[in-house]
Amino acid sequence: MHEQSLIRALLRQVEQIRIENGGLAVVDIQVEIGPLAGVEPLLLESAYKVVSPEFRMRETHLVVNEVPLTAECPACGTIAVEQTRIVCPQCGQTEVTITAGDEMRLVSVTLQTADERDRPA
Amino acid sequence: MTQQIISVGRDVLAKARQSAQELRDEFTRRGILVVNIMSSPGAGKTTLLQATARHWQGRRKMAVLVGDLATDRDAQRLAPLAPTIQLTTGGACHLELPLVERGLERLGELDCDFLFIENVGNLVCPASHDLSEHVRVIVLSTTEGDDKPAKYPKAFRTSQILVINKTDLLPHVPFSVEAAINDARQIQPRIRAVAVSAHRQEHIADWCNLLEEAHAELRATGQVLSQNR
Repeated sequence: MHEQSLIRALLRQVEQIRIENGGLAVVDIQVEIGPLAGVEPLLLESAYKVVSPEFRMRETHLVVNEVPLTAECPACGTIAVEQTRIVCPQCGQTEVTITAGDEMRLVSVTLQTADERDRPA
Repeated sequence: MTQQIISVGRDVLAKARQSAQELRDEFTRRGILVVNIMSSPGAGKTTLLQATARHWQGRRKMAVLVGDLATDRDAQRLAPLAPTIQLTTGGACHLELPLVERGLERLGELDCDFLFIENVGNLVCPASHDLSEHVRVIVLSTTEGDDKPAKYPKAFRTSQILVINKTDLLPHVPFSVEAAINDARQIQPRIRAVAVSAHRQEHIADWCNLLEEAHAELRATGQVLSQNR
């Protein structure tokens, strides 16, 4: 159950991004997780409910997209692999490198920003 | 009001991993091999470290940071054998780098060849956190069953050494060392495996030899085994 610590790490980064880009608020946060991320989507969402008020992001929508586990095979290129059998399904190669699905990725952040015409002249 | 989408495309733990890499580089420069030991509760991490310290006594220097939710029982067991600091996580299920850094401050000037970080007993959460280790080790005991690797794929995928412990119990439990190693190699084909009885101090030399090889490689090349992804 380390989802709360991952959410804290995520929201600290999102807050930094909001400040750097002069955002007034964060509308939504898109993340990607895969089978080897070590993250359970339901637990991630409940951890978000607990932690987001600390960052004043109660209104912010967290969107969790699940992605498959993929790897790079030296012979066959990008392939989909099973998490319990990490070999190339086409040629049987075992020396493959995982390229996606083993982490929690922050994909994008939607910010609410002030319009030119909202600014005082 | 308008909205702006900022593309990021970054692992949430990338920053933590970068800090871990900086600390790892410092240990590499100092010739200290850092070993992160993970297992389920009760697999024998502390007993393995006691056996390791006894095996090396007077020949190799080691220090230990030991993580638990509560109590300093493990540190009490290890302190007579090697400089040891207990890290208590206050209920958290895994160690993270800041806790390790705090433990290092308390250890003071490090004079050792090997620094062991005994993680909290758990095969799930610790697997996601880089603690600056050169080598990640899983201890799997024969009482847990030989079908465990596929249940904890991330922990096995990211480890370089598998220690099968409690081989003295093999006559009493339905556990095949070969099946467990095969299962682990479906997930991580490069994983090195040794089978020991830490309690009986049996085959500890095999495990220590793997570590000594890794240490020699670290001193010679500045790199060790391979960081798995």
